Amino acid sequence: MSLVDTALAVVLGTLAMAAFGFVAGLTVLGIDRKLAAHMQARIGPPIRQPFIDVAKLLRKENVVPENAIPWLFHAAPVIAFASTITILLYLPIGGIAPVFGGAGDLILIVYLLTVPALAMVAGGFASGSPYATIGAQREMVILMAYELPLAIAVIAIAWRLAAAGVAEPFSLAAIAANPVWGVVGPLGIVGFAILFVILAWVTPAELSRVPFDAQEAETELAGGLLVEYSGKNFALFYMAQGVKTIVMAALAVAIFLPWNLSDFVAMTPAVAVVADFAFFLAKVLLVAFFSVSLIRVSMARFRITQIVSVYWLWFGVLGLVGLLLIVLDAYAGVW
Amino acid sequence: MLECGDAMANLPMIPELLKQLFRQPATNTFPAKYLPPSVTGFLKMVSRGEAAIHPPVATPPEFRGKITYEPEGCIGCSLCVKICPAHAIELVNETKTIRIYVSQCIFCSQCTDMCPKGSLKMSDEFLLADEDRYSDNLIVE
Amino acid sequence: MSDGNPAKTTPYTVPIGPIHPALKEPVMFTFRMNGEQIEKADFAPGQTHRGIEWMGMRRNPIQIVHLTDRICGICGVSHSLAFARAVEQIMEIDVPERADYIRAIIAEFERIQSHLLWAGMAAHELGFDTLLHLTWRVREQAMDTIELLTGNRVNYGIIQIGGVRRDITPDQHPAIHECLDYYRDLQGKLLRIFLEDATIQMRCRDCGILTRDDALRLCTVGPTARASGVNMDVRVDFPYAAYGDLDIEPILPDRYLGETRGDVFDRIVVRLLEVEQSAGIIRQCLDVMPAGDILWETKIPKILAAFKKAHGEAVGRHEAPRGEVLHYVRMDGKEHPTAWKVKASSYSNLMSWIPMLEGEQIADIPIIVASIDPCLSCTDRVAVVRGGRRSIMTKEELHRLSVEKTRRLMR
Repeated sequence: MSLVDTALAVVLGTLAMAAFGFVAGLTVLGIDRKLAAHMQARIGPPIRQPFIDVAKLLRKENVVPENAIPWLFHAAPVIAFASTITILLYLPIGGIAPVFGGAGDLILIVYLLTVPALAMVAGGFASGSPYATIGAQREMVILMAYELPLAIAVIAIAWRLAAAGVAEPFSLAAIAANPVWGVVGPLGIVGFAILFVILAWVTPAELSRVPFDAQEAETELAGGLLVEYSGKNFALFYMAQGVKTIVMAALAVAIFLPWNLSDFVAMTPAVAVVADFAFFLAKVLLVAFFSVSLIRVSMARFRITQIVSVYWLWFGVLGLVGLLLIVLDAYAGVW
Repeated sequence: MLECGDAMANLPMIPELLKQLFRQPATNTFPAKYLPPSVTGFLKMVSRGEAAIHPPVATPPEFRGKITYEPEGCIGCSLCVKICPAHAIELVNETKTIRIYVSQCIFCSQCTDMCPKGSLKMSDEFLLADEDRYSDNLIVE
Repeated sequence: MSDGNPAKTTPYTVPIGPIHPALKEPVMFTFRMNGEQIEKADFAPGQTHRGIEWMGMRRNPIQIVHLTDRICGICGVSHSLAFARAVEQIMEIDVPERADYIRAIIAEFERIQSHLLWAGMAAHELGFDTLLHLTWRVREQAMDTIELLTGNRVNYGIIQIGGVRRDITPDQHPAIHECLDYYRDLQGKLLRIFLEDATIQMRCRDCGILTRDDALRLCTVGPTARASGVNMDVRVDFPYAAYGDLDIEPILPDRYLGETRGDVFDRIVVRLLEVEQSAGIIRQCLDVMPAGDILWETKIPKILAAFKKAHGEAVGRHEAPRGEVLHYVRMDGKEHPTAWKVKASSYSNLMSWIPMLEGEQIADIPIIVASIDPCLSCTDRVAVVRGGRRSIMTKEELHRLSVEKTRRLMR
């Protein structure tokens, strides 16, 4: 009986999360477009525009290029969308515990984050277009490039929590219960601030946004990876993009801004769920604004070689500095 | 690549962007703030007075818009027919007047400049999009 | 970084064009790539030939002036001015001095809007869309002033054989000065945003280099040549219209940066500084513009009659925003010219793509292609299609065909 209960909870939870991911993801994309437009002194499309776009795309046919490998070409968008929804199941949404709360940790999430990217690579190679092929090659390079600073950030956080005596430091529940800012001294706060900045700068690459969008690069590759995608398949990639935005922002929120309103203000449990949820959405929007909207309108696209240099040298070194500060902070307490 | 690090700090656009976020957008919202589901439907609603159209940017005094023609003064000299670079004007032999195909007109205003009787003028009308290039709106006679 | 990947080390071919987001007008590029690096670049223009010269040969010069407005959407007045000057030389017309000044004013306004348009386009090619929106927004001020002076934003229709069609009245002066002041105040901000931005420097510095020798050897013109350190400007070298009376100095990048590298960044510098220079020229024109007529002959039938007496050939030149534009006209006592040949500025600049592109990365293709401000529909004068297949003609074949045609005409 309990197995059925668990199964039911998982299925319902997954469906609820998929619905949330779909609605919140597209809304965030709409808000991002609106804010970017206002920063560029434009009015921009209405916030519901991504919904209109998806509704239209879903009504359109899939065009499969002659040189494509059809099964892979069709499978890639489904994998990309499904894997982003899967990540959402491991992330706390406000006061609501993740569906797979006890089952996975930060390391799993870092691995899962590569799945949509790999699905896009597979789809790009399966398209059989030179632009998509170059885009897929670039996506792989970018994937390798931003993994280094991301891994440094994740390891630094977990190591510091372990040093502070937190059991299971890689578990998001443990991170949420012990906000990183609380366990460190001033040096560590500077270190974590650096790591927060790094996570914010990894986000545009993860989402293939300017300046790290060499894999799609409209003016060079005409859409790169996605150049041959149309109709329903493209809608799936588009929705995955929205969900991924939520995932990246929620990850940053879960690690660096884990507080809930109900921790500070006394309220009834029912109100607390709603208030925490609203507070979570506000935090996600804030993170998305600074790490996606503002960055993408304020600079030019990097070359692929520059992306690698930026992530390996500049953010890699910065991450190590952050890590060093956190290490010093941990031993400062001991000394 | 350390130079790249120095350079990262120099992004003069960011303060401008944050300021602009709280300013009015520069776009003129003609004919409406967002694209209506059907533009022709929207224009019909405007003509029935059910919706308000946002005005376009004003045209300057000597704007060269859709051509107007007064056949009363016309003497049928056909100078305009001869001078039109786009061959948009033809002479109607029966009435000794002219017919102008606006879909062909390039709005150079050469004919209005040289018309000896001043029968041709440029108006400030510029919303001339049509599905039929021979519609009544696009033939002036 | 992934040199070991066999797929990336074998040369492969990337086609860009004829229709591609990197290109604002159709041209066909073929790149042989080694990984991300361009090994060999080739291009085929002629994708947007419109037969405008053929149309011109069946019209009289007053009509052709309005066709020349439409050779290029951006250099509306450049082609008209070059063509009018060619016809005026054949007919030995003395253009009234006031008309010369008005021509210079409109030409400089055109340079302002064209360079701003280009700057926005370049930013877009770099993926920096905010700058596109910013520059195109400030460009509107020039467009509005042009609309006020000529009656239209694009296709001004201001040039007439023997003068200009509209005078600049005293009540228009405040609006012109307002526009010039706007650009004077804006210049510092524009230079700061474009030239100090780290990402633009990373993308444009030492990218797409055209050496001074290559610039001379390939006969480049306009800002493309000046950015490589070639001191040339038709306005200074062969003054026409009012330019002989004005104080103009060609803009070279070393005056601003202290050195000339001939890269994309230098081309941005030259064009942005020319916006300021053009505003200065307009100010000078307004100050010293004499009163008087604006047309050599106001009665158009009389001009038409004069065409029938015109014999001879002439070349009209003008420094368009993209460089020297040249119109060759021959008239043989008929209303319409016997020959009319247009050499747009981009025609001279296209070949500089090859040395600029080879050795650079795919990512640089859009900005390098855009950096010469190519205007392909102005340039495309010929397209050979035989039996549905395009073919490329060699110089010898073209020469043979020209000789044959001349013989045919002389018979």
